[in-house]
Amino acid sequence: MEVKKSKWDRLMWTWKPASEREAGDSVVRNLLLHWFPAKVTKDSLSFRYSFWLGTVSALLFGILAVTGVVLMFLYVPSVERAYPSVKDLEFTVSFGGFIRAVHRISAHLMVAVVFLHLVRVFWTGAYKNGTASNQNRPFNWILGLALLLITFLLSFTGYLLPWDQLAYWAITVGTNIASAAPLVGDKIRFLFLGGNEIGQNTLLRFYVLHCFFLPLLVLFLFSWHMWRVRKDGGLACVDKLALKQKSEKAAPVKSKTYSLLGITRGSTVHVETALVAQDEHTVPSSPNLTRRLLAVMLITMTVVALLAVFIGAPLEEAANPLVTPNPAKAPWYFLWLQELVTDTTIHIGGLTINGALLGGMLVPGLLVLLLGAWPYLDKSSANSVGVWFAKERRRQNLIFLVVVIFILIFTIIGTFLRGPYWKFYWPWQGWPEVPRRF
Amino acid sequence: MNWKNRDWAWIYWSAVVLLLITGYIVWDNMVPEWGDYQSDFKELVAQRFGQARAKQVPAGIQQVWVPQLGRADRCTTCHLGVSWKGFENAPEPFRTHSKAILDKHPIAQYGCTVCHGGQGQATDERSAHATMVEHWEDPVLGADLAKTYLVKNREALLQINCNQCHRYDHETKGADYINYAKQLVQQKGCRACHTINGRGGMVGPNLTYIGDQSPEQYDYSRMNGVKTAFAWHLAHFKEPKAMVSTTVMPNFGFGSKEAQALAMLVLSWKKTNLPVEYIPGVKVGDVPSPEELAKEKQMETGEGAFFVKKTCFICHSVSTLGIESATNIGPDLANAAADVQARFGRTLEDFLAAPTGTMAVVLSTQIHLTPEERAEAISKLKAAYQLKLEQEKTARPRK
Repeated sequence: MEVKKSKWDRLMWTWKPASEREAGDSVVRNLLLHWFPAKVTKDSLSFRYSFWLGTVSALLFGILAVTGVVLMFLYVPSVERAYPSVKDLEFTVSFGGFIRAVHRISAHLMVAVVFLHLVRVFWTGAYKNGTASNQNRPFNWILGLALLLITFLLSFTGYLLPWDQLAYWAITVGTNIASAAPLVGDKIRFLFLGGNEIGQNTLLRFYVLHCFFLPLLVLFLFSWHMWRVRKDGGLACVDKLALKQKSEKAAPVKSKTYSLLGITRGSTVHVETALVAQDEHTVPSSPNLTRRLLAVMLITMTVVALLAVFIGAPLEEAANPLVTPNPAKAPWYFLWLQELVTDTTIHIGGLTINGALLGGMLVPGLLVLLLGAWPYLDKSSANSVGVWFAKERRRQNLIFLVVVIFILIFTIIGTFLRGPYWKFYWPWQGWPEVPRRF
Repeated sequence: MNWKNRDWAWIYWSAVVLLLITGYIVWDNMVPEWGDYQSDFKELVAQRFGQARAKQVPAGIQQVWVPQLGRADRCTTCHLGVSWKGFENAPEPFRTHSKAILDKHPIAQYGCTVCHGGQGQATDERSAHATMVEHWEDPVLGADLAKTYLVKNREALLQINCNQCHRYDHETKGADYINYAKQLVQQKGCRACHTINGRGGMVGPNLTYIGDQSPEQYDYSRMNGVKTAFAWHLAHFKEPKAMVSTTVMPNFGFGSKEAQALAMLVLSWKKTNLPVEYIPGVKVGDVPSPEELAKEKQMETGEGAFFVKKTCFICHSVSTLGIESATNIGPDLANAAADVQARFGRTLEDFLAAPTGTMAVVLSTQIHLTPEERAEAISKLKAAYQLKLEQEKTARPRK
């Protein structure tokens, strides 16, 4: 069908769909859109179900990649030059301070958003398989968990690069906690640091991990994660809808099904969830999904840019192994662990039982293992797939809530309420003045 | 509003906010603080010296890069008048730097911050002067700080940095506070208890690098007011027991000036990584031994001085006159009177008047002898030959 195009359309669109049918085609015909389904349920689009946290994580990763490449042109990963090169970024490079602040804020937000994404998936039971065949959501949950851990590592490796006191001592505290692992702890620390203390080797290792190895891993796992979402029939709320309609025993509807590039063998997800593909529940992805994606993209960028303008990225004195700042803190997302280490370190007379093993290794290690295994332990029925706080999963959701609150409280205590000598200070209590030279 | 329109609303509002932020950032980048100073300075130059000179005022961020000291100082971005003549009384940041000091410490070799302190890389006043900012422990040692510590001479504090290089001077011209403090160290016998620069007692702490001690490593619990290392030393010099109750350091009855001078001195005692050419009084060179010096003097002033003066000695020794060639390319000239006859079948006089071979080239291009000099050469060479014959005579019987 030939449609008359305005000049604007010709400028903006290589090809603009004229019908719903063509809109479906457009998804398959476009590289950037090809991973979307042709049609998408309204529930999947809703903010209330997913908060779009996965998308926001991916967008933040995109912002980090773009700003990161810019920073790579200007940053020198050497002990002598790293700190001055960051100072130059702040003082002489056009927009340098802003780009650095955007990178820093996006990194913090990504850690938070990826974590919230995990929390959302748990509370909606979205790691569970529905009734469609060929689903393997538990595995995708594990991929997601791996992505969370890599996000921590990405942030942690980036933390060292400015080579200031904040960086140096945060990595010192962080890697010291890691060295509490039995048998291999010291070796792992040695491997990461490229020696027994933080130096040029560490900086180079962290730099390569941060700029090349870990982003590559994220890209790979993220693609896998997305591919699995499509193979699993989209978001878990689709299964909820299908189940609801099955119970209504509506007659099957003949509908065109779209599959990835049209070459997937066997029955497609959409055949399995055919009942959902009705006009009352679904809308074409183009332009409904793409439009909302654009909105989410712009909102994310706006929030990041606003925060970057108002907060900026800190840069303390140049790293000095001889002077420990007081207090020396790990990056904020590890502060609940640092807090836990302090609280489980017990002094009996002259004897000190170090809490690093419990707080630094056992608790986080156990949590990760338990999280990975949970989809296989959760025996609730398909009725609780894609449902916020399903009745059937009330007890586990409650326990998860307790763990999340515990982590949050310990993070808040570690971040805001711990002062010099790791002493407790209420927000209204001022910290003692930090002495200066002059 | 339906959800489609709501999406569009979000898109438009975010786009507008993003555009505003972009505008703000671009604007912020286009009107840096130093831009105002540069246009003010340009105006000042135009007023005093005319438009032509004003065009010579540099634009953009200025930088003095001193790789030897690892410094990139951008102070001259605003302090534009530093090396201009005629702004001696101009308001800061445009004042001309005193010439006497710059002559000895050229900006290209020293930069600014190595003496004045401050954050050289910074391009805004607050960060650059760093007197009130966090995370920069090396503020500009200028009038602001002097006011805080009630130092009468408002420029005195920067003598702390003079003493980074001039540490081992007994007296440094212009550094009166530091000089006074060094005198006090001698007079009061600080070394009786303290080791300073590797010499002294062990009763008190070693002070050699006390300036490197972190401000957090002092005990401020008995101190009122600002908690700084400098303030601690001021209080401690005035009354040691007030700061450290268990100290055995006596109260020397120091007044404000003494305490200030001494606090400046001890804070200047830091480990430095200075290239050797920056340390006054240190000369690294190839020092000749006393024997070498004696030989040199003998050659320059002895009987054979003529052959040194005319540079013959580069190739020839004249052994009996004490001339030793470093290279010995040509034959010993002590033997020349006989040797020339033997080699060329000509007398010395004849040969020098019309030399052949290598000597023809040397005597026409590098060594020019006037007739008088030629005569002197011949008489000296003959004398040398006589000496040689005598030496051989006296040497033979011994065999």
